[in-house]
Amino acid sequence: MGKKVLVVDDDPDVRLFSATVLEENGYTPFEAANGEEALQMMRAEKPDLVILDVLMPRQSGVRLYRQLKTDAELKNVRVIVLSGIAKISFLKSQQALAEFGQGAVPEPEFYLEKPVEAETLAETIKKAIG
Amino acid sequence: MNIKKLLFVTKFEELGFGALQSLLILRSCSLEHVVFLYVIDREKVALQRGVGFKKDEQIRLKEAANIRFIDWAERLFETGMEVGVYIQVGSLAAEVVNATRKEGADLVVIGRTHKSALEQFYSGSTVTDLIRRLSVPVLVYKPAPEGTSALAKPFERPLLATDWSPASLRSVAYLKGMKRIIQEVQVVHVIDEKRIEGSSVMQAQKAHREAKTRLAETCASFEAEGIPARSYVYVGDATEQIDQAAQECQASLIVLGSSAKASWVERFIGSTPRAIAEDSVFPTLLIPPERFPTS
Repeated sequence: MGKKVLVVDDDPDVRLFSATVLEENGYTPFEAANGEEALQMMRAEKPDLVILDVLMPRQSGVRLYRQLKTDAELKNVRVIVLSGIAKISFLKSQQALAEFGQGAVPEPEFYLEKPVEAETLAETIKKAIG
Repeated sequence: MNIKKLLFVTKFEELGFGALQSLLILRSCSLEHVVFLYVIDREKVALQRGVGFKKDEQIRLKEAANIRFIDWAERLFETGMEVGVYIQVGSLAAEVVNATRKEGADLVVIGRTHKSALEQFYSGSTVTDLIRRLSVPVLVYKPAPEGTSALAKPFERPLLATDWSPASLRSVAYLKGMKRIIQEVQVVHVIDEKRIEGSSVMQAQKAHREAKTRLAETCASFEAEGIPARSYVYVGDATEQIDQAAQECQASLIVLGSSAKASWVERFIGSTPRAIAEDSVFPTLLIPPERFPTS
């Protein structure tokens, strides 16, 4: 079984795309459709990598990323943010939350703006977890 | 009552980012999460004779909405707001109810719906449907009338139309929760013409005095919360008089409790909240009565 990767996106087409890229490259994908579901799966499955959308119902990727990076058990899980939201807006949102007293979190190591080519996604996954 | 999460239902042409921006004043009343909802009318993409299911049209509409929501979401995220989005195919009222329940929204904002009288008679009004099915307030937003600043600060000068029903009393509590953003509340009661028709001068004056006394009590309860309040009594048709009062008081918003009648009753005799929400030029906040969970 390959390394475990959790794909978090509310769009089933994007989940299917990412899962296909992952399987073709020897990884084991799991899927979650929103932030709350993702957090439960992360605790249960302990993935090596999370591919995270930002704009989702229930809980956005902005808050989920923050939760992840401040959770002792999950903070070392690698994250690729894959979203239509511009990286600058994501960073500004984290900065604003930090200013509201929620503490600073590290920037995501990998940020891909949609739409992304399969090759680019595969390369980024390889860079993140080998 | 805190408004932490707002469901913003838009078809874009009637409710744009300007409207949303004017609602962000609610951040001072604990708003922290905005959820966007765009509903693609099922009939636009549904199975049609000779055409079938219009998958391409559905994708086009979804992507067009997504592009707009991404732009809006970026602006909100940058200020530290939490943002969510739903793009659904279905009927407007049903999808609003679903999203409100899934998200636990505290306020639903919709634009004015444009159904003809005949369509409303047969399929009912979206506003009525929502009020009947939701336990959270619904704000029906309108473009600002020319020469007014209603859109810029919609909660600054609300006009509360009260009949002292449970929903009206809930409206008072709701407005008190917005005390940080309200400049002054105008409280109005409309005496039904029929109530004083044919009665003596004494009876008419008694009805007026009773209304004044109860309005004074309501105003005093606002003042106790630090919200300046003034009261007015009007006589006549409730829908016409509430709208007139809003104009004369230069209100920014009409607030009224809404006790949902059975849909068939409303189709025949109409309802004041629905008429105000759909016909008045003023944004209208409809507060349903408290609903207790049934076992």
